[in-house]
Amino acid sequence: MDSARWTRIAIGVVVGALVGLGLYATGQVWPLSAAVGVIVADVVYAGLSLAQTGEWGPMRVAAGLVAFAAATYIGIIGFGDFGDANAVDPNTFANTKAANSWALILTVAMVIGAVVTYGLELAQTGRLASLSRQFGTRTYLLMAVGIGINVILGQTVASALKIPIYLDSIGTILVGVLCGPVAGALTGGLGNILWSYVIPPPFQYQPAAAFAIVAVAIGVIAGLLGRAGFLRPRPNRPPAELLAGGAVTVVLVGGLTWAAALAYTRIFETKIDLFPDPAKTDLIFVLLGYLAVALVALAVVGLFALLLVRRDLTAAYVVVAGVFTGIVAALISAPIAAGVFGGVTASGTDFLVAAFRRAGADVYAATTGQGLISDPIDKVTTFFTVYLILSALANRFKARFPQGEQVLEEPSA
Amino acid sequence: MAALTLVLESLTYRYAGALRPSLHEVSLELREGEVLGLVGASEAGKTTICLVASGLAPRTVGGTLSGRLLLDGEDTAPLAMHDLAGRIGIAFASPATQLSGVAATVYEEVAFGPMNLGVPRSELIARTEEALSALRIESLADRDPAQLSGGQQQLVAIAGLLALRPAHLVLDEPTAQLDPAGTAMVAAALAGLAANGASILVAEQKTDLLAGICSRVAAIDAGRVVLDGPAVEVLADPRLTDLGVAPPAAVRLRRAAAEANLPAASLARLADAIAEVPPR
Amino acid sequence: MTTVLAVLSGGLLGPAILAVVAVVLPALIGRILGRLLRTALLLSLPIAISVLLVNLFFFPAGREILFQVGPITATAEGLGFALETLARIGAISGAITLFYLTTPPSELVLDLERRGVSPRIAFVALASVQTVPALVERAATITAAQRARGLDTEGSVWRRLRGVLPLAGPVLLGSITEVEERTMALEARGFTHPGRRTLLWWPADSARQRVARWLLVLAVPLLIVARALGWLGWLR
Repeated sequence: MDSARWTRIAIGVVVGALVGLGLYATGQVWPLSAAVGVIVADVVYAGLSLAQTGEWGPMRVAAGLVAFAAATYIGIIGFGDFGDANAVDPNTFANTKAANSWALILTVAMVIGAVVTYGLELAQTGRLASLSRQFGTRTYLLMAVGIGINVILGQTVASALKIPIYLDSIGTILVGVLCGPVAGALTGGLGNILWSYVIPPPFQYQPAAAFAIVAVAIGVIAGLLGRAGFLRPRPNRPPAELLAGGAVTVVLVGGLTWAAALAYTRIFETKIDLFPDPAKTDLIFVLLGYLAVALVALAVVGLFALLLVRRDLTAAYVVVAGVFTGIVAALISAPIAAGVFGGVTASGTDFLVAAFRRAGADVYAATTGQGLISDPIDKVTTFFTVYLILSALANRFKARFPQGEQVLEEPSA
Repeated sequence: MAALTLVLESLTYRYAGALRPSLHEVSLELREGEVLGLVGASEAGKTTICLVASGLAPRTVGGTLSGRLLLDGEDTAPLAMHDLAGRIGIAFASPATQLSGVAATVYEEVAFGPMNLGVPRSELIARTEEALSALRIESLADRDPAQLSGGQQQLVAIAGLLALRPAHLVLDEPTAQLDPAGTAMVAAALAGLAANGASILVAEQKTDLLAGICSRVAAIDAGRVVLDGPAVEVLADPRLTDLGVAPPAAVRLRRAAAEANLPAASLARLADAIAEVPPR
Repeated sequence: MTTVLAVLSGGLLGPAILAVVAVVLPALIGRILGRLLRTALLLSLPIAISVLLVNLFFFPAGREILFQVGPITATAEGLGFALETLARIGAISGAITLFYLTTPPSELVLDLERRGVSPRIAFVALASVQTVPALVERAATITAAQRARGLDTEGSVWRRLRGVLPLAGPVLLGSITEVEERTMALEARGFTHPGRRTLLWWPADSARQRVARWLLVLAVPLLIVARALGWLGWLR
């Protein structure tokens, strides 16, 4: 990517962060401040791109994002309020109405966003080049293989290993990165629906379809990150750059984790304590705390090992992509898990949900807490796996996919 | 109507991202009903010639092509892949990857190509049954393609091409991944097709198979055509071994016999006897 | 599928009634009730047990104590919530199983294509369904080969893990690299041809099936409106 584009991105991020922080400082709730900040950042970037290069693409995506946010906002105001204590069933604590409306609102808002983006393109250019570019025989075949991989690994992990992660989005992320956001979204969504209704036992997993919207979001994010060159190999960088990359990553990952923890404590008014007092707390939470710390430590050590041994800066990008995707996936899937399945989905994540509930959290808080622990770990693992798969494939093979050029090493300047 | 010819006119082709071309000024001509064998070491450019001759390169695999590919006298440059699908068919080495992966029976698998092209249903059925009987695999019609042997799958793949009724066939090492039984099956099918007047370009390592079905053979080295002539002459050419190609058993035997000074009459009888043995 | 949507607006009795009307009745008519119950039970049993245990013992708002096992208490509220969730899951699972038992994937996809779904999407759906057994078979072949070379596939967890890792690579990579040759083979057979495909056959659709479908679709807005207006209180 050229430096002019990085400058535009940087300006967008700074303006967006200022607006977001300003809103937060003036007493707005943090999710609204963050969302407005992200949208402002994207609109500023898109406006700069349009002014400097005449590219309409980023502006159309920004318009879609604004439409998506507006639709979500109107939906929340009109149909369901997360924070409204009266909406929570006083008997069960399960806010089924909010969960269902949340899933529905997001689906409708996504459709509206997509229609705005591609409708604008159709109106302006008379064609859907950015959409049809993502699809070809190669994309369709990779989608089928991707869905197969999702189902096989997801089912094995969920039903056999009983560990609290999913590993059911390797195919989605692979297609998203290589072919584009819409192809990734379709792989995730179609895959989860097939997993519920069409794939025969023993590989059938009936809860999957309810989570299709989560898989769609994962596919879109993977496609956008892939397009931005997140999984491009960056080997043999000088140590100073690697250390800087590592430091930035730790700050970013720490920031995201902090934001997720803050979201969790603010929304549900509970406290997260990694090393709780064994005398006052349940044993399982003491163990869980140690486990979480060990995993985080392992991830950081592994990250720096990759950075310093392979000297590949992409390790840092992979972690950022995984944590970000994971937090988004957790926030979307938690209400579905709570409202439709009472927090239990017959997989390894159930014991985490049970632990949270034992500690006094309601279904909602329990699934959110479980998601915020499981998903970032799961998505970092998944992005690492996809990166390993990509590095094992021939460049000639990768280059033929719609976004294939974005995963090839840049020729040294 | 123009003659059914397939002409490669000084084709130079470079894969996307490659520094050098894989083919240099390749010119070949296939007349109606002719079977042309293509030999050469691995990586010499046999597969690339097949991809270019079938139109897949550059349409599907990208890259840059100069020169002309003429189909029945018509320049193919402006045609899309689905326009070529009914006029030229291509088969590959691996039987399983050529199957559509969506057909529950061999019948549906063979019908897949013409279904894509949207031919009317009555013609679809006629074409499918004709293709099945051309390869004598009517008995497999109701089987699941995924459960067949490699040789049977390769026949189904070729039947799937025939159902598109192409005037020309390109086969890239159609027996490379098959056992002797499968090879014999495909060889017999090719001989039958050639006898019925199809023009076929077949790239093969197995020169014994080519000796049985080809009228002409061309040898490739480093992306260039180095030998091109009647099959008998090219396959007996002493330069073939230097190109990394093993000559047919009959040729090797004749050479060994000549070195051992065997009488010419018994030599001819031996060679005939060897030619009778089905190719491996 | 309609059943799933309708279930979202029920309480405890709601899903139970729905399950009888929309799942058991058609199954009885179709004479597959036995197979339906067996498969649905088998598929939803793990999730049902999880739901029951987690809610029975770990329900935070539980006050009415039913019985105690060591430090863990079972509560009546937990049981109630578990039963409600179970009814919902039962109806969903029954509907999905009924759908699966009566509809082979190829018939479903052909029917969708006939009704105007893009042939490309239909292709992806069918190809994915067939990819699953293909991947399993590939894994089985590689496992056998590795066992023949003396690799440990049984034994301790760590040793098995070391056996599985070199297995996952070839299975995933093999199926991904095949995409290239399959792309060429499909395009050589006119896959990119624009316009509709000719279908060899398609499943029949009777008048009764159409009526049942419309009734279910109509039930969704009715239930949502009824629930919004608070008419469904008697179902709790």
